[in-house]
Amino acid sequence: MSQQTFEIRRSHVPPRPRAVSRWTTAGISIAVLVTLHVVALRDTGFRISELIAGAEGMGAFLSDAFPADFDWDTVLAPALAATATTLWIGLLGTTLSIPAALLLAVLGSRTTSGNKVVYQLARALLSFFRAVPDVVFALIFVTAVGLGPFAGVLALICHNTGVMGKLWAEALEESDQGPQQALGTAGATRLQQVMHASLPMVTGSFVGLLLYRFDVNVRSSLVLGLVGAGGIGLLINQSIKSFQFDAMVTQILVVLVLIILVDQLSAFIRKRVAV
Amino acid sequence: MRALDQDYPILRVGSLAKSYGDRKVLHDVDFSLHRGEVVAFLGANGSGKSTTLKCVMGLETPDSGSVRLHGRDLQTLSGRSLRIARRPIAMVFQKIHLVPRRTALENVCAGALGRLSGSASVSPLFFGRELQEEAMAALQRVGMADRAHELAGRLSGGQAQRVAVARALCQRAEVLLADEPVSALDPAAAEEVMILLHDLAHEENLAVAAVLHQPDLALRYADRAIGLLNGRIEYSGPVQGLTNGLRERLYSAKAVAA
Repeated sequence: MSQQTFEIRRSHVPPRPRAVSRWTTAGISIAVLVTLHVVALRDTGFRISELIAGAEGMGAFLSDAFPADFDWDTVLAPALAATATTLWIGLLGTTLSIPAALLLAVLGSRTTSGNKVVYQLARALLSFFRAVPDVVFALIFVTAVGLGPFAGVLALICHNTGVMGKLWAEALEESDQGPQQALGTAGATRLQQVMHASLPMVTGSFVGLLLYRFDVNVRSSLVLGLVGAGGIGLLINQSIKSFQFDAMVTQILVVLVLIILVDQLSAFIRKRVAV
Repeated sequence: MRALDQDYPILRVGSLAKSYGDRKVLHDVDFSLHRGEVVAFLGANGSGKSTTLKCVMGLETPDSGSVRLHGRDLQTLSGRSLRIARRPIAMVFQKIHLVPRRTALENVCAGALGRLSGSASVSPLFFGRELQEEAMAALQRVGMADRAHELAGRLSGGQAQRVAVARALCQRAEVLLADEPVSALDPAAAEEVMILLHDLAHEENLAVAAVLHQPDLALRYADRAIGLLNGRIEYSGPVQGLTNGLRERLYSAKAVAA
């Protein structure tokens, strides 16, 4: 009932130490970034005026492309079949790289690898597979097994082993080491520690990263089609070369549907796996 | 038999010394553990209690000193023979360290890994019936049998710590080292775990050593106390000898600062 009076207390805010140098570092960072962008823009010939001047060409291209050609026998059915091939390349490229990626991840993680030499060797292998782009692997395998999806699968297995192995090794290093240490004090061997503590601790993140790589690999296998590894990429390439832009639009729409479906599926599974 | 056991210490630690760089954290620490008793390690943060336990467990390597289990010096062993010789010593941690994605029973079975052969122990699928029954009995002993198939990640802190004790039992431990086993638990759960440790010493004839932060828990559940001050043993004797003056000295501001 009674009117209460609040005494508002204020206290002196001490000045932040080295405030001036913070402004200096910010200024230098901005100057460096701006310089880098000027160089990059010049080197890539990035000029908006050129884009506007060439808008006519794009218009001609688009008027050729629309309306899209949805003819079942000549366009849509082959596009669906080829998209399925692209999906299978992405699927096999992901799953068949699991054994090698798992082995190299365990050996290439500081927390689970028992031996320094083995650790460095595994890291070097992972770096090699990661550094060589999947397109280069595809070109190499095409010379061995010929044009077609098989070369694409082999290429993805190699590249994905490097990327997924590295991601998994990092997940292992970041995980809680406690349970592994606990089993170590109970007399478990390193292999037993890995099987009963390290790996169960990271199952969730491993599955998440696997699904993420599946997502990426399906899109990569599209590009691999352009260099002759089969699938929808090959059809898109053929449409462009024979100026059938209306068919190309249909093929891209089919790919869009595939990408959305894969994305939804992996989001759904990730939600179920997360604990 | 029991009288004999209690005359001869199962674990004897002699002249343990350890330093990190220039800072000497343990000076000449001597103590022994006997079956059938709970020994509480008391002292302020940085007094060397946890380091002592870690040296015994092999998680830290002491600069000098001996750790004798059944009279055998563990410091002279290495690799596989050390792993086997250490098997009768189990450890329980403040952070519990169960695998949350595995069931309580699977976590308890994992305590036996040290005596299982390589190929039979790569997956819980290969844990045999006998092992599972032994693990179940351990869960029963700690009062967690009804939660055997629950994922460890779904247990409360006190329940999880009791499962961790069951894992130590499944390891067939003779010595149980507990590093702040109740520091992360609420008071009721802490009491339960302390009662359990006390009963394991007195009923199952284990040698239990526990680093504790609360002297009153030591008074109620431990038989002996070892008080550390700046890396030296300041008190070693029955818990009844923990006078107020001694407790103040162990936890004084000066000790923490030094």
